[in-house]
Amino acid sequence: MPTDTKRVRGPEVSQSPSLVTSKPAAALPSSGPRADGRQRDQVDVRPVFVRCGLVSQAKGSAYIEAGNTKLMSCVYGPRETERKDETDMKCGRLTTDMRFAPFSCPERGSWIQGSQDRDFSLMLYESLQPAVCLHKYPRSQIEVSVMVLENGGSVLAHAVTCASLALADAGIEMYDLVLGCSVRQDGASYVVDPTYAEESGGSCGGSSEDAGGVTVAFLPSLNQISGLQSDGEMAGETLTAGVRTCIEGCYKLYPVIQQALLKAVRKAAPPPSES
Amino acid sequence: MASHHPATVGQTHVANQNIMAAGFKTAEPLEYHRSFLKENCRPDGRELFEFRTTTLNIGSISTADGSALVKMGNTTVICGIKAELTNPTVEAPGKGYIVPNVDLPPLCSSRFRPGPPGEQAQAASQFIADVIESSEVIKTEDLCIDRGKLCWVLYCDIMCLDYDGNLLDACVIALLAALKNAQLPEVTVNKETSSPEVNFEKRHSLRLHKHPVAASFCVFDDSILIVDPTAEEESLSTARLTVVTDEEDRLCSVHKPGGTSLSGEKLQECINRAAARQREIQKLTDKVVHSVKAAQ
Amino acid sequence: MGWLSSLLENMSPMKLCVPGDKLCSVEDCIPGTGVYLRHGYIYSSLAGYVLRKNEGEELPVISVVRETEAQLLPDVGAIVTCKVTSINPRFAKVHILYVGSTPLKDRFRGTIRKEDVRATEKDKVETYKSFRPGDIVLAKVISLGDVQSNYLLTTAENELGVVVAHSEAGAQMVPISWCEMQCPLTHAKEFRKVARVQPEYLDA
Repeated sequence: MPTDTKRVRGPEVSQSPSLVTSKPAAALPSSGPRADGRQRDQVDVRPVFVRCGLVSQAKGSAYIEAGNTKLMSCVYGPRETERKDETDMKCGRLTTDMRFAPFSCPERGSWIQGSQDRDFSLMLYESLQPAVCLHKYPRSQIEVSVMVLENGGSVLAHAVTCASLALADAGIEMYDLVLGCSVRQDGASYVVDPTYAEESGGSCGGSSEDAGGVTVAFLPSLNQISGLQSDGEMAGETLTAGVRTCIEGCYKLYPVIQQALLKAVRKAAPPPSES
Repeated sequence: MASHHPATVGQTHVANQNIMAAGFKTAEPLEYHRSFLKENCRPDGRELFEFRTTTLNIGSISTADGSALVKMGNTTVICGIKAELTNPTVEAPGKGYIVPNVDLPPLCSSRFRPGPPGEQAQAASQFIADVIESSEVIKTEDLCIDRGKLCWVLYCDIMCLDYDGNLLDACVIALLAALKNAQLPEVTVNKETSSPEVNFEKRHSLRLHKHPVAASFCVFDDSILIVDPTAEEESLSTARLTVVTDEEDRLCSVHKPGGTSLSGEKLQECINRAAARQREIQKLTDKVVHSVKAAQ
Repeated sequence: MGWLSSLLENMSPMKLCVPGDKLCSVEDCIPGTGVYLRHGYIYSSLAGYVLRKNEGEELPVISVVRETEAQLLPDVGAIVTCKVTSINPRFAKVHILYVGSTPLKDRFRGTIRKEDVRATEKDKVETYKSFRPGDIVLAKVISLGDVQSNYLLTTAENELGVVVAHSEAGAQMVPISWCEMQCPLTHAKEFRKVARVQPEYLDA
C-alpha cells in the first residue's frame, strides 16, 4: 500500500469495534412495519429538511437532511474553463465531485477517494447535466460538489436533489429542477427511500429473484427521467414499477424543495412593500 | 454595491466614476481595508481585537463516536471522531494513537482544488497534531486497553465546509468539543480466548486533561494587529500568528508561519487576548456539552 | 438592489417561480431573460421573480430575475473594468473584475493586444508606455476569443484606458494628459493610455 505522506498517519491497520463482536447483524424482517415506523410497499419517504445558501464562499449551496442522511452541496462558477477544446467554445462544462466524509458511514472511510466516490460523481453528473442550460455558458465551467456528512441511506437520490437546489440557488439557468428518489426491492415487498440498514441488510434474503435497488433522477415539471441507476436482480415489470414508485416519491418531495428555494429567493431580495 | 442599473448609466465616463466608487473594494482591497483600520475598525464592523460570533453544535453525526460543528462568522468546520481498535507499537506498548487530519475540500472555497491535501491542509493537520501533543489534552496512555496487545486509535477527521479565514481556531474548538462529546464502548479482553469483547451498552467519555484554545492574529502593514481574520484579511496581511493556551494560561503552541517580524510587546498583547479567548470558548464548550448531556 | 426594486415597481402582483415552472403561452408574452421556450410555452429557467414589462410592443416581455446577475459573463460590446497582470511587447494580460457595474465573483482573463490599445497611430503603440501591472483599466470586449486566446479587449476609445495607476513611490497618480500621469509625491511623470481625463485635473 502506498504511504500517504500528506496526512497524519495512524497505525497500519485498525478495526472498528463493531467488527470485533462476531454477533451477526440481525437480518431485517422483510414484512411488517419498518424500523423507523414507516410503511412498507408505500411511497413513504422520510420528511426532508432543506436549506439553501448556507455557504458564504459558494455561488450557490444547499443542505438536505432526510432521517440520518445529511449532505450538502456547493456550486462554484461559471468560471473560466481550465482546459479548452472546441466544444467548450459553444457550450459550458459541468463538473461534479461527490465525496463521503471519513466519519459518514458506520465503518470509517479513507480520505483517499475510492471508486465508489467516482461512480457516484459520474451518476450525479449524468443526472444533472440534461437539466442545465449549458449553452448559456460558453467558455465556462460550473462546478458542483457534494459532501456526504452522514450516510443514512439513499445518498445518491438525495445528492441529486441537493445539487440541483444548489445550482438553482447559484442562479444557474436550468430547464427544470432535478429530484432523486430510490426504492429497495426485496422479493415481493419494497421500501421507498431506504435507510442505510435497509440498503445493506436487504440482500440477506438472497434467494428471491426480485432483490435490488433503483435510483431515479427526475425532472418534475417536464416529467422526464434524467438518471436511472439500478443494481441487483429484478424482473422487467418490477423495475418499471420501481421507477414509477420513485417518480411518485419525487412528487412528494417537490413542494418542500420548491418552498426552500423560494424562501432563499425571498431572503436574497425581499419584494417591495407596496405590491 | 452598485446602485445603478447599467441601462440608466448614459456615459462611460459616469460609469467609470460609478465603478470606482463601488469597485474600490474589489480593485483595491488593501486600500479598502486600510481605510477601515485607520478608524480602528474592520469592514465587517468588528473592532480590531473582536472575534466573530462563535456557535457550537455537538453530537449531530450519529455515525461518529463524537462530533462537533463550529461556526465562526461564515467559517464552518466539522469534526467527527471514530474510535477503532489496533495494536500498540513495540516502542510504546502502553499507548494508543490520536490521528488528526484536516481537509479543505473544493466545496468550502473556490481557492481549493480536488485531489490530495494541499499545503495549507497539510500544515493545519500538523498544527492540530502538535497542539494535541504539546497540550496533553488526551494522554495516549488512557487509550491503552491491554498493554502491548490492544489499544484505541482515535481518528479525528476535521473538515472545512465554508472557508472564510481563521481555520485553525475553528479546528481546535471543533476537535475539543468532539472529544468531549465522544463516547467509547467498553472493551475488555477475554482472559481465556484473549480476544477482545465489546460492550456497546456501556459507554465511557474520554478523559480530557486540558482545554487548549487557539487565537489567531494577522498583522497589517507590519504594525496593526487584528484577531480572527477573514479569508480576505488573511490574504492581505503581512504576517500571521496563532497562539494556543490552556485553562492555566500555559502556552501550548505559538505558530508563526513566516511573514514580517513582531515585537515582544505585540506578542504579549496576543497572548493576553488568547488567554481571554480560552475562557470564553471553554465556557461555551462546557455549556453546550452539558446541555446535550442533559437532553439525553 | 436598487435597480431591482425600480423594476419591480412596474409590476403586480409579485410572483415567484423555480426552474421548470410553466409561465405562459408564447401567444401571451415575448420571452425575455431567465426563461426558455418549449412546445409553444414559456418556462422559467431560474428561481426568482416573474416580471412582465411592456416595452412598447404588442405583447409584454416576460422575464425571471434574481437579486443579482449572478451568472453574468463578459459579452461582446460590454464595458469591463480590469486589472493589468502582465505586459509584453505584443499585448497586456488582464483580469476582468467588473462587467458594467456588476462585480464578477470569479476571475476571467482578458488580453489587450498592441493594436487595440488606441485608435490612432496604432503602429507607434508601445505596450510598456500604455499599461503597467497593477493598473486598473476600463476596456470594451471585442471578441470572446478562440481556443488559444482569452477575451480580447480594446481601449481604443477616449473614455477607455487606465483609470487608476500607482507610481513607483506607491502613490495614486493624477492624469495630466491622454498619455501621461503624474505622481503627486515625486512629481515624476509616467506614460499611460489614460481614459478621458477629467478637466479639473488638467494643468494650466
